[in-house]
Amino acid sequence: MKERFSLAPEYRARTLFNIANALFFIAVTVAMVVPLWKVLVDSFNNQTSYGLALFPAKPSIDAYEMIFTQSSLLRPFLVSVYTTLAGTAVGLILCTTGAFVLKDRDLPGRKALSFFLLFTMIFEGGMVPSFLVMKDLRLLNTYWAVILPMAMNVYNLILMRNFFENIPESLYESAALDGCTPIMTFLRIVLPLSKAALASVGLFYGVALWSNYTQFAIYISDATKHNFQMRLRTLILDENALAAASSLGVSSKSVQNAAIIVAILPFAFLYPFLQKYFVTGVNMGAVKE
Amino acid sequence: MTTAQPTKPRVRRAARLWKYRYHYLMFLPVFAATFLFFYLPMGGIRFAFYRYTPFQPPSWVGWANFEKLLFQRPAFWTAFRNTLTLSLTNLALSMLCSVTLSLLINEIKNRFLKRAMQTIVYLPHFLSWVVVASVFYIILSPGNNPATSGLVNAFLTRWGLVSKPIFFLADARWWTPVYLFISRWKETGWGTVIFLATLTSISPDLYEAAQIDGAGRWRQCLNVTIPAMMNTFVVVLILNLSKVMNLFESVLVLQNDRVLRATEVLQTYVYHQGIVAQSAEYGYPTAVGLFRSVVACALVLICNTVSKRVNGRGII
Amino acid sequence: MTLTKRLLAAVVAVVTLCSMGAAVSAETVKPETITFFIDTVFGSMMLDSTFQPVVDAFKEATGITIKFIKPDHSVYYDQLNLAFASGDIPDLMEIGSTNYPTYASNGALWDMTSAWEGSALRASGAVKDENYVNALKIEGKLYGFPLSMGNGTITYIRQDWLDNLGLTTPANYDEFVETLRAFTEDDPDGNGVDDTFGITAPGLINGETPYDIYLREFYQDAKPDIYQNADGAWVDGMQEPQMLDALYRLRDVYQKGYMDVEVITNNTSAAREKFYAGQTGTFNYWAGNWNVTIENNTRKNFPDASVKPIPPTGGIYIERPSLALAISNACANPEGVFEYLISYAYDGAEGQTLFTRGIEGIHYVKEGDAYKQLPDPENTEKLFEKVIAAPDLVYTSWADPIKLDERVLSSKAMFMENRRFDPVPPASAVWIENISEVIPIRKEAIALAVTDEGVTPEQAIADYVSQAQPFIDAILAERNGK
Repeated sequence: MKERFSLAPEYRARTLFNIANALFFIAVTVAMVVPLWKVLVDSFNNQTSYGLALFPAKPSIDAYEMIFTQSSLLRPFLVSVYTTLAGTAVGLILCTTGAFVLKDRDLPGRKALSFFLLFTMIFEGGMVPSFLVMKDLRLLNTYWAVILPMAMNVYNLILMRNFFENIPESLYESAALDGCTPIMTFLRIVLPLSKAALASVGLFYGVALWSNYTQFAIYISDATKHNFQMRLRTLILDENALAAASSLGVSSKSVQNAAIIVAILPFAFLYPFLQKYFVTGVNMGAVKE
Repeated sequence: MTTAQPTKPRVRRAARLWKYRYHYLMFLPVFAATFLFFYLPMGGIRFAFYRYTPFQPPSWVGWANFEKLLFQRPAFWTAFRNTLTLSLTNLALSMLCSVTLSLLINEIKNRFLKRAMQTIVYLPHFLSWVVVASVFYIILSPGNNPATSGLVNAFLTRWGLVSKPIFFLADARWWTPVYLFISRWKETGWGTVIFLATLTSISPDLYEAAQIDGAGRWRQCLNVTIPAMMNTFVVVLILNLSKVMNLFESVLVLQNDRVLRATEVLQTYVYHQGIVAQSAEYGYPTAVGLFRSVVACALVLICNTVSKRVNGRGII
Repeated sequence: MTLTKRLLAAVVAVVTLCSMGAAVSAETVKPETITFFIDTVFGSMMLDSTFQPVVDAFKEATGITIKFIKPDHSVYYDQLNLAFASGDIPDLMEIGSTNYPTYASNGALWDMTSAWEGSALRASGAVKDENYVNALKIEGKLYGFPLSMGNGTITYIRQDWLDNLGLTTPANYDEFVETLRAFTEDDPDGNGVDDTFGITAPGLINGETPYDIYLREFYQDAKPDIYQNADGAWVDGMQEPQMLDALYRLRDVYQKGYMDVEVITNNTSAAREKFYAGQTGTFNYWAGNWNVTIENNTRKNFPDASVKPIPPTGGIYIERPSLALAISNACANPEGVFEYLISYAYDGAEGQTLFTRGIEGIHYVKEGDAYKQLPDPENTEKLFEKVIAAPDLVYTSWADPIKLDERVLSSKAMFMENRRFDPVPPASAVWIENISEVIPIRKEAIALAVTDEGVTPEQAIADYVSQAQPFIDAILAERNGK
């Protein structure tokens, strides 16, 4: 059935739906944008305002200048890039292999292994024991202390397993007939068919690692190894840093808000880019033939 | 004969294990990482039965911490009730809103608009709760005078909908609905990511077949889209259920002295206990944590069983 | 490792005692290195260039290497607890007045009473005001040395608003309330719009001790905490008659709309921003440096604004206990740390200059007779402020070579004339376990008594008593039983 903007009987329902949907999304956009706009306006306002304003009362980019001219932000930025990329890579390896194994319903001990993983989502040791384990593993003050516990993410693994379960069984059977080992099946069939899954779970990893604060604060006491997020947090929360900003004639509130904007900026660009993989997801019809 | 009988299944079993040797090999890194980073620290759960400060070796107190929380702390039970009602409502709403929003986004035909919408709705996820709270305090402010009142109250009073501004976040009747709204504002878009990824992996064949059968859009949605999303829905529901007792930061930043009892959840209760007295005592908080875990575990197992009965699939 | 350290500490203690008993003036052994946990001091330590020169200069002066450890501020006490739990215990640590008594009561801190009393530092008279040291004593014992003045809040008022309205500085409580009324109703900013109110605060009650550090005009002699009264008996301040008066005072201005209606949801930055934005003309905030920050930020919006501290009307200001520099019990040579680091850093002379202003040529320079601050190595756009102790909060005889802003000095002087010291709170196991249950109930009672039209202060207190009494009884029994 072709789409057409018309009120003729056969198109009426569809057209009315489209209008309603458009109105709905306009409302959603306004609701989403108003608070974000407030942060954006405040970041460009070199005056302390309390309340909403459509435009900054005293427009200025001083706050952004102050953030970007701080030489001490370059290194944390690189640390963030490194831990995010490494963590996402390790995370995707762990969760795809784990998901591939647990997907197989005939695997002896499958239930026990699933339970072994799920148990860790519910029961946890707490901060002090985790710290002591990290210390015993000699991982304190290394990036592995941040990367490894975050890469081993059961939530993501189970989601990945759910995607793998949607791949038709017949594909595995024909692969087995062709003499593929499970590892080859995994690499040649499962991964190429799971782009949407890899993109979305990869996004989950990337976001969690990029905005990671807790692990850095607890496991990395050496401030020279801190990431971007921690530095921005200091800018947002540290009273001393804010008092310093105001002594420079930059409104401390604009610095806070600029830091917030800088922190979300990468994601505003990342998602539209990743959506490319969402449309070329598993196309089972094509594979079957 | 009699001796051969029991060896036979064992041989078969060994053969099956051998058949899956690559699987076990592939699982090894996951196993090792889970063991090292999650199971080793779990030894700390034993502190629920100790009095433990960093300054002295832990001393065994048996069930004392649990007796304390179960029988001597009315605030604990209030917090427990609040946690269950608030987070279960929140979870139900989040599933409903995310799925609905994904379906509606999926109906946008213009590719640019679709991507733009997806991005806009998911951006609030990247604001920290502290920031979200400070922005909403301003938007919902009752204000001492019309000039300082927030957007919502200005609108309500301008149109004569209320005679006096409403102090939404300090009014026990309004707090929960407002909290739920702010949570949805922040997290619904993020929740759609996984459902939209699922929607794209539905085979176009299925839609074609439905069209040939004369199904309209609405029928296609009911008969193709929703069943195809069902598995993901159940998995996400159970996974989020396992975190349902962890409600913390969102409540902490939005609660205030006037609605403290009505809004205190288990995590904020423990946090306030620790922060107020700086007790540096880990035994009691660990006991509260263990209690939370046991409840979460029960919820997950129940949901998993129900889902297996109804849907034929759970996550264990 | 810890065991050997503890044994060593014990041996050192015994040796010290013996030597003291025998009246042999054995020289204190100089430590080779000192590990030092710091929180609020010394910039962010992102760059070696910030602290390395100080470490080098200290080594040159004394031969001792300091190893600074600076965890992120928001997890400072988590990290300190972790350091103790894992056995990597620092020799010296900065510790705030809420944690200080907890650590001391758990036996984590070294008792420096006798070290201080017999010290050359004390004999030198460099510590002008020993009240700061005494305020940190717990049951007569000293476990930490004051890092700087504890400081407290003072009432700041928009002088230009007073002038616009032809008012003078309020001299008593009634005049103060009248000022708040005028700030609310008489258009103090003269813009013709009803957009102002009298006073704001970050909450009706502070989140940590001293709980009554804000809204001093209203609390006056009431204390929303369990405390030792003039007769030496421990009482629950919430149930004292003064508290009811204070609640009525707060309720009065709140219900009349003179106080920020959002006072219960404000955090400190919201309260500050409302003041900067000209919504309100009065609020309590920290004395000293903050005077300048507040005035500068307000002037960005209102170039003619003038922010002045005023003497307390009806009450008295409170000085909270100082941050403490505490030596751990696991430290192998606590006497050495006290004598060579603490005594040096507060000597009122070169040592204090190093630990406050830094190093000549790196952090400041001499130009003619005047000293000038140099840019902060970490953020070259601002001037280097302090190493460990803040120059505006010095309590020794040290003469700051760099002249402070007049506003800092005047607000500090006004504060010091009108303040009393607040004691370090107790920290026994009974106290900690019960007070943490009392505090949330107390906060809610105060919020309801003041903001809820339908709840009278008497009702709120009665409700508070019905919920909190068992916990209060347990605390009072222990306190008064002693």
